[in-house]
Amino acid sequence: MARRPLAAALAFCLFLPSTSAHASEASSKVIADAIDGFIRPAYGRLVGTTAELGKSMVTLCAAPSPDTLAAARAAFGRTTATWSEVEIIRFGPITEQNRLERLLFWPDRKGTGLKQVQSALADKDATATNAATLGQKSVAMQGLGALEFVLFGTGADDLAGTSATYRCAYGQAISGNIGAIAAEVDAAWRDDKGFASQWKNPGAANPLYRDDNEALTELLEVYVNGLELVRDVRLNGFLGKNAASDKPKQALYWRSEGTGASLAGNIAGMEALFVASKFGELVPADERWVAESIGFEFTNAQAAAAAVTGPIDAALADPAKREKLGYFALVTSSLSEQFGTRLSGALGLTAGFSSLDGD
Amino acid sequence: MRTPLFDRRDFLKAAGAGFVLSLSPARRALALETDAMFATAYQARTGEYGVAILSEAGKILHSVTLPERGHDVTFDPISSKSVVFARQPGTFMLVFDHTGKDAPLTIPSIAGRHYYGHGVFSPDGALLYVTENDFDNAAGMVGVYDARDGFRRVSEFPTHGVGPHELILLGDGRTLAICNGGIETHPDFGRAKLNIPTMKPSFVLVDRVSGDLIEKHELPEKLHQLSIRHMDIDAQGTVWFGCQHEGPATEKPLLIGRAARGKELEMLDMPEDILGGFRNYIGSVAANRDAGLVAVSSPQGNAWAMIEAKTGKVVAKNDLVEVCGLAPDRDGFLATTGAGLVVEPDGKQTDDPEHVWDNHMLRIDLQNT
Repeated sequence: MARRPLAAALAFCLFLPSTSAHASEASSKVIADAIDGFIRPAYGRLVGTTAELGKSMVTLCAAPSPDTLAAARAAFGRTTATWSEVEIIRFGPITEQNRLERLLFWPDRKGTGLKQVQSALADKDATATNAATLGQKSVAMQGLGALEFVLFGTGADDLAGTSATYRCAYGQAISGNIGAIAAEVDAAWRDDKGFASQWKNPGAANPLYRDDNEALTELLEVYVNGLELVRDVRLNGFLGKNAASDKPKQALYWRSEGTGASLAGNIAGMEALFVASKFGELVPADERWVAESIGFEFTNAQAAAAAVTGPIDAALADPAKREKLGYFALVTSSLSEQFGTRLSGALGLTAGFSSLDGD
Repeated sequence: MRTPLFDRRDFLKAAGAGFVLSLSPARRALALETDAMFATAYQARTGEYGVAILSEAGKILHSVTLPERGHDVTFDPISSKSVVFARQPGTFMLVFDHTGKDAPLTIPSIAGRHYYGHGVFSPDGALLYVTENDFDNAAGMVGVYDARDGFRRVSEFPTHGVGPHELILLGDGRTLAICNGGIETHPDFGRAKLNIPTMKPSFVLVDRVSGDLIEKHELPEKLHQLSIRHMDIDAQGTVWFGCQHEGPATEKPLLIGRAARGKELEMLDMPEDILGGFRNYIGSVAANRDAGLVAVSSPQGNAWAMIEAKTGKVVAKNDLVEVCGLAPDRDGFLATTGAGLVVEPDGKQTDDPEHVWDNHMLRIDLQNT
């Protein structure tokens, strides 16, 4: 596996504690803007699409038909698209109670989820058709991956007729569970005395963020970790060194043909957060070019991923589309360098060699 | 005859003369300023990875370039060779002497395995034990390599857990203590953690000769996301281990624990401000047996602390940006950072502008020279 260049210069960043009142104010503003300008609205959109998804499942189960199935499938695609934008936030309320994995357990390398979903369908497990009891079950059978199989996996077309009552009820419960998790996370972020307040107000007595550097590092790590996730886990999980070693069934959302859209959504979320937080404006004026260069690369990466439409195996077999994915890998590597080295260096942050999730 | 009790320091002492004599006169003089050398992986400003032998004052005495990022180093005093292990999920380990006289030997992991970054020699230097991931089966393994036969892989045995990390040899020279971090990874998905909701770390003792499991300990269920990763042994033979919490940051579990043979694991109570400062992440653990101290570092919390082994009390806490590497030295510890600092026990700092130091540092004694 190719090593990321990002750790390289990271560590050489100068450590410049931003203790001045000015720096503190600017830093708090960036965090506040990240919350109000991106995180809260993005979770709000997730609540919206999951609610629509829930309704479309209710409709499908009440009146199964090719049209109601198509509507439910479309609502699923809108949900994964909004989730892709906000899933880059991998700290705070989403980390409580295994919400992140309950919403999307992926990669499911051993097919645990698939086996559990198939066995629930075969046994018609009644506890899986109630959102509340489902939420207590294995993380692998209550989230987007499970619902994707219900709506797009083997036998899913039966949902258009009357023979798949149990399958539909299970899918409806999953959609309810996803909606409930989204609502919990949304509420937690909106709570002015909750996590958002802790992130916005670092201080010696704050158990999560003792100073501005720690608060800003959390934001920086959205990019450092997020870009690694998108490239090393999501993309390289299915894109081989050459076409012969591609593994299309290791692509997230391959069943619903949402792979490219999800990669693009991840980058769109990162860009929206970057713009809303005005993170780049924290750097000294003579280094503002870093922010411009980041913006340019976000645009390129999104365009490349968004061009990968349709079934992922077909896209991989199409040299032009496959090349887009290779380009996406290059641009995300470059973005890792921009954030991990240049931006962090310009900000004097120390998301460095040893302190990133090491070993 | 019974295997004599193994004292690592005795072996290290015996080893010193050979490689000090093999150093160039200038480097030898540099080395002799202290009674020890220190081995650590690094990254150079050029982006290149490597492993270095440092003097106590942080001067590089010898270095070897690595193809990718390294992690820990182990040393065999009999052959005076060290082995550096690739950071997980890396697939190489590299055997090198400290002079560059013999070309380094790269040992790739076998198919279906990668290394985790840690290993340890048998007391006679004949065998090398290395933690490995049988990744398709998500099973921790110890690979056994014959140091006298070009580090041929001769056998293996399970670690009885997922995601093994550091392993050390106990004082009897026969029992391996292994931290099973509990985290499943697969190289198809980079360093992604695949089983956080269900992870189950453990601490095990395994007979290195038979491969038999001697003891296995798990933390209480509510601590199942506390990954046990690094450790060292104090003068009484108690193993001190450090953990990394994979659960929410709002949880603040205890991070340091002790393991004694035949007893349950015991987590060490710590003052809240010190514990909180570690940000749920201990990066390395080192004991200074002569001084009766154990040190733990947190690169995420930019701090390290010294604990009195006898009482379990924190006797000093030091703020140091990106500190991780720790090794016993004089009456305390030498500490290194991911920003390129080497800090001696008296606080004297050396900044290397060309290198940053990786997570671990190994002390190699140079007595009897």
